[in-house]
Amino acid sequence: MKSRRQTNAVVGLLLMAAMVSARFAEAADEAMPLHQQIDELIGKRLVELKVVPATVSSDAEFVRRVYLDLTGVIPTAKQARAFLDDSAPDKRQRLIDELLASPDHAIHMARVFDVMLIERRIPTITSYDVPAQKWREYLTGAFAENQPWDRMVRDVLSSDGTDERNAAGVKFYLVRDVAPHQLTRDVGRLFLGVDLQCAQCHDDPRIESYRQADYFGIYAFLQRMTAYRDNDKNVSLVGETAVGKTSFVSVFTAKGGETNPRLPGGEMVADPEVEKDKEYVVKPGPKERGVPTYSRRLKLAELLPRATTQGFSRNIVNRLWAMLMGRGLVHPLDLHHAGNPPSHPELLDRLERWLVEHQYDLRALLREMLLSQTYQRSSVLPEGVKELPDEAFAAAPLRGLSPEQLSWSLLQATGRIEQHFSQFAAKQKSDAAKPDDAPPAWTARATQLEPLERQTRPLITVFAGLPGQPDGDFQPVVDQALHLLNSPAMLPLLRDELSNLLKRLTAISEIEPLAEELYLSVLSRRPNADETAQVRELMESKKSPEERREPLTALIWGLLLSSEFRLNH
Amino acid sequence: MPQQFSRRELLAGAAGAIAATSLGASLRADTAMPSRKQLMLLFMSGGKSQFETWDPKPGAKTGGPFRAISTSIPGVQIGELLPHCAKIMHRLTVVRSVNSGIADHFQGHYALQSGRIATGYPVLGSAVAKLLERPDDVLPGYVSIRRDGPKAYTDVGDAGFLGAKYEGVRIVNNQPPANLIQPSAVSPALAEAVDRIRQSSDERFRLGREDGPIHGYGTTFHQARALMQRREIFDLSKEAPKDHERYGKHEFGQHCLLARRLLQSGVSCVKVTHFDWDAHQDNFYWHQIRCAEFDRTLVTLLDDLSEHGMLEHTLVVIVGEMGRTPQINNLGGRDHWGRCWSMALAGCGAKPGVVYGSTNDTGTEVKDNPVKLGDLFHTYLRALGIDSRMKYEINGQTNPVADPAAKPIDALLA
Repeated sequence: MKSRRQTNAVVGLLLMAAMVSARFAEAADEAMPLHQQIDELIGKRLVELKVVPATVSSDAEFVRRVYLDLTGVIPTAKQARAFLDDSAPDKRQRLIDELLASPDHAIHMARVFDVMLIERRIPTITSYDVPAQKWREYLTGAFAENQPWDRMVRDVLSSDGTDERNAAGVKFYLVRDVAPHQLTRDVGRLFLGVDLQCAQCHDDPRIESYRQADYFGIYAFLQRMTAYRDNDKNVSLVGETAVGKTSFVSVFTAKGGETNPRLPGGEMVADPEVEKDKEYVVKPGPKERGVPTYSRRLKLAELLPRATTQGFSRNIVNRLWAMLMGRGLVHPLDLHHAGNPPSHPELLDRLERWLVEHQYDLRALLREMLLSQTYQRSSVLPEGVKELPDEAFAAAPLRGLSPEQLSWSLLQATGRIEQHFSQFAAKQKSDAAKPDDAPPAWTARATQLEPLERQTRPLITVFAGLPGQPDGDFQPVVDQALHLLNSPAMLPLLRDELSNLLKRLTAISEIEPLAEELYLSVLSRRPNADETAQVRELMESKKSPEERREPLTALIWGLLLSSEFRLNH
Repeated sequence: MPQQFSRRELLAGAAGAIAATSLGASLRADTAMPSRKQLMLLFMSGGKSQFETWDPKPGAKTGGPFRAISTSIPGVQIGELLPHCAKIMHRLTVVRSVNSGIADHFQGHYALQSGRIATGYPVLGSAVAKLLERPDDVLPGYVSIRRDGPKAYTDVGDAGFLGAKYEGVRIVNNQPPANLIQPSAVSPALAEAVDRIRQSSDERFRLGREDGPIHGYGTTFHQARALMQRREIFDLSKEAPKDHERYGKHEFGQHCLLARRLLQSGVSCVKVTHFDWDAHQDNFYWHQIRCAEFDRTLVTLLDDLSEHGMLEHTLVVIVGEMGRTPQINNLGGRDHWGRCWSMALAGCGAKPGVVYGSTNDTGTEVKDNPVKLGDLFHTYLRALGIDSRMKYEINGQTNPVADPAAKPIDALLA
């Protein structure tokens, strides 16, 4: 429901656009690097829309944005300063590559995909779940290895919780109570980009391509699943039966049918003939988890994550695009259909093919998107322009930080993360290192972050959306403001021994370096003259550390509450 | 969703839209009146059974074990679980012919509240908060009261394109919103300095940028200050013990008492959620318990609003997100049912003593005057004196306040 915004493009700009248009007259050349093709195809549409895009982002905009998008947290003052002071022409590309290879990137992607796939659900019986930490570790490992997306999806869909390699993946089923209707809807939405919910009861009257038979085609893969609880071992698993036909009746027309498993747009998959009395490897019983000789669910795990499956590649491409650009090429992300066409069909198609050609290498795809001018634009609109259409990707959008990004950025800005790691490093020096069986870098990092992870949770609870709903557009509400103003957790974060920003600032007596350290720490940029003047006005007469404490607290807190901090811009 | 629009309805909708007044003019129309119009939404979460409440079918195979009883309107009967309501039936407005076609909690709840199927529109509370807003308002326009619990579909919906200012404030278990009190370690001077720095930072940041998100975020801090200053409006201990008693010392009774206090304080719209109507098992047992609370508290509330002179400007909407199946399942439950169910209104703008629409002998189909959720939405707005054909003009975007393909039901309006 975002507004279609209007531009005030003036004649001069139109002329410029016409000139650009000549350059983009030809379709993107597929021999070019993908990021250039992205810019060509986005540029072509800008010309058609007569929209002049924003200029390239400043280094300060870029460094904050890319840290947030790739590691889920703003840079430290030190990191921001190092980037801003680097004069190498390829510094953006180097930073992108460095961050993509970092353990923090894998940890961040695990958080993003946890929220995307689980949608903050909890199962009806809370304890019948894969612990969050185990699931996150599993995802982090997959992203750290840069596992291809088709393999990741196959591992999740095929998990029954018994194979240590992908046991955590069964969470996808367990948080949905192994309920076939819920699973049918979410397999469609999250892996294929189609929400077939209405098609459960009838063909969707709004969306011609969402047929009831499609819904039940997916349902047939999943309907034989059963939840299985092993109380002795305290684990929850999924089992399956070998029987169960799928039939459906429209509540409108009373017409219906029977279906075998079938993916939308695909062929029906007949169950293979199985000899009588050999239907099961393990027959389901009160104490036995059913394991059929032929598993429809495993068939789904085999068939769905393939380039030939309608929507499979497109969905992930669109979701990664939205993660970086603020909205999907198809938007909302789970409503791919003829009546809701992509804003850039040719580009979506190109990205999809590229990902398939590159064996579902998500990291490589992210890299190309990040290198594009489209990603690297400023959020400051061109002179004289008040608004630009969101779907033109003409300026960097103002996106709310996710609850996770916000929590971690509060810890970063106040210096709590840095403090935590310096204590950790001190402790490690005293411990004898064991180089022989050193775990991969990401596990060490994740373990070290765990105590902080716990501190992020209360804030995430206040800022998160509803369970079972995707995190939507930026919608700030008053409870969140009240939390940031009055929560007993806020003041300690600013002043506590465990954070170091206030201490650091208190030690700087000169106004200009003080203002610089403050702004680099909280907003990842240097202050302008007005901002330095504001710091001077508040601080100049304050000499003793006791006198300085209150105005410094006000400065830190005030900036933490600013829109500039709250938004990814 | 079965929302088939006839050509005639579409045309009527389009004509209405053209004839509609602009929002700005109409919004100011109410401000000269001494009492503002207000809305109270009593939301029966999970979907109450029409058979056990407003549309009994005693003796039918779908009817269940309860009797029907006579009411204060000659010839009209309702379920025996609502004896107090029966006595004031002439003051209520009941619809027996709702056909939403939605048998899903999330979708039903959204469609009921927004009067639409398409997502992204403001829910009733947010819409009314916006439409009845006055320039000098400091309190939030919309508050939603519920108990704690995991049932997410009963939670506050969102303000859609109206933006954060109209998002409902959540009250859980009658606890005031968390963090209403400034920590004692924060001096007023510090709080003031923090706010000044925040605002000046926003002033600089908004230069050249899209204003919507920046403005929306800033608004939440103004709302926070207003709530902190007037937090006594959430303090139920200020209500007389006899009122606690009269409303009932259960969750629903106490939540309704708080709702009355908030309306009195000037909040435009309050929603109270009454839980546990989703009786897939033991439907009859559950309805005995739920109706006992609901019946007495509703009548107390209406009497109380009336005595305080509030009912004439307060519309009370009593509705769930769907009905329950005619079939009784083998666990003695009734399941989700969207084709044929009931709801009720009272107070401001509603025509008292009306029983609108009817269903067939077994309660499986609407017999006459089918009503859609979109029609009800128009009706709520009209009862509050709002022209439901008008449009929001927000950020240069025009959107009809209510679904142009639906229309108000005149027979329900005073």
